[in-house]
Amino acid sequence: MRFIGWTLLIVFWVSLGSFLHYTLPHRDIVRIVNTYEERQELGDWTRLFWARPDEQSSTLISRDVQFIQGVRVNGKPTVYRNEDTGWSWPPYFKFDTANLYTEANDAVSTRADPEWYLVTHYGWRNEFFSSFPNAISIRPIAGPDASKGLPWVNMIVLSVLAAVFYGIWVRWRRFRRARIDPRLEEWQDKWEAAGDAAQQRRGRVRRWLDSWK
Amino acid sequence: MVLFRVLFIAFVVLSIIYLSLSLYSRARARDRLESEWHEGDYDIPLEAYVRAGLVKYDQSLRRKLILGVYIVPMSLVCLIIYLVNFA
Repeated sequence: MRFIGWTLLIVFWVSLGSFLHYTLPHRDIVRIVNTYEERQELGDWTRLFWARPDEQSSTLISRDVQFIQGVRVNGKPTVYRNEDTGWSWPPYFKFDTANLYTEANDAVSTRADPEWYLVTHYGWRNEFFSSFPNAISIRPIAGPDASKGLPWVNMIVLSVLAAVFYGIWVRWRRFRRARIDPRLEEWQDKWEAAGDAAQQRRGRVRRWLDSWK
Repeated sequence: MVLFRVLFIAFVVLSIIYLSLSLYSRARARDRLESEWHEGDYDIPLEAYVRAGLVKYDQSLRRKLILGVYIVPMSLVCLIIYLVNFA
């Protein structure tokens, strides 16, 4: 029982953590190298890694998606998809995909003469599932060592979420102490009393049987 | 259109929250008035005291603040739309 409880608890917190890590914005400092468009098949479960920019896109099995290729400060490549999130989840309400594509094309620079950009994005890059983080915005910054700035959105969202969970937890504990614990103790007492009675009866039967020896 | 569906769902959910909150807040106001009447020494009967108090509550700022249930999320969405697309 305790094992099941712990498993459920761990599964819950890990799912919540991954969900938040996927959904909340992150920032990378990159040099933008190129942009391209590629037809993407949307027929299987990896559909959930692509956005639903409008109503018709949810029935399509393939469509063209824009990508932005970048190189990070440490030289590793990152590829972002560039899709509207529209009115659907996650609630970034991004409608300026075409503008962002233009900005990204304008921001292309070479290794010899790099220009560094701060890319805000959400989502995960996974080579096996071909999932890409969705770029939300880009803006030029001073250099590869410049500060990424405080993650205001994450701070606010996480604080609000922590407050909500704390509120629920406190109320649940109060409810448990007031309503559930006394009832459980009552049951336990009854159970133990029943056990004692049964043992006594068995003892009597045994004594009676023993008297036949 | 997706926008209208989202607006409709948001309206329904927020209305449920608004209704529950305003009923809860009104019940709290009523409880407060009743305990006030029990503690104090009033000439008027409990019923009348509570009714007069609730009329005052209906005009209070506290009751109007519950409209924030609609206003805060809508402003938040507008702010996000501005920041993501136009800032």
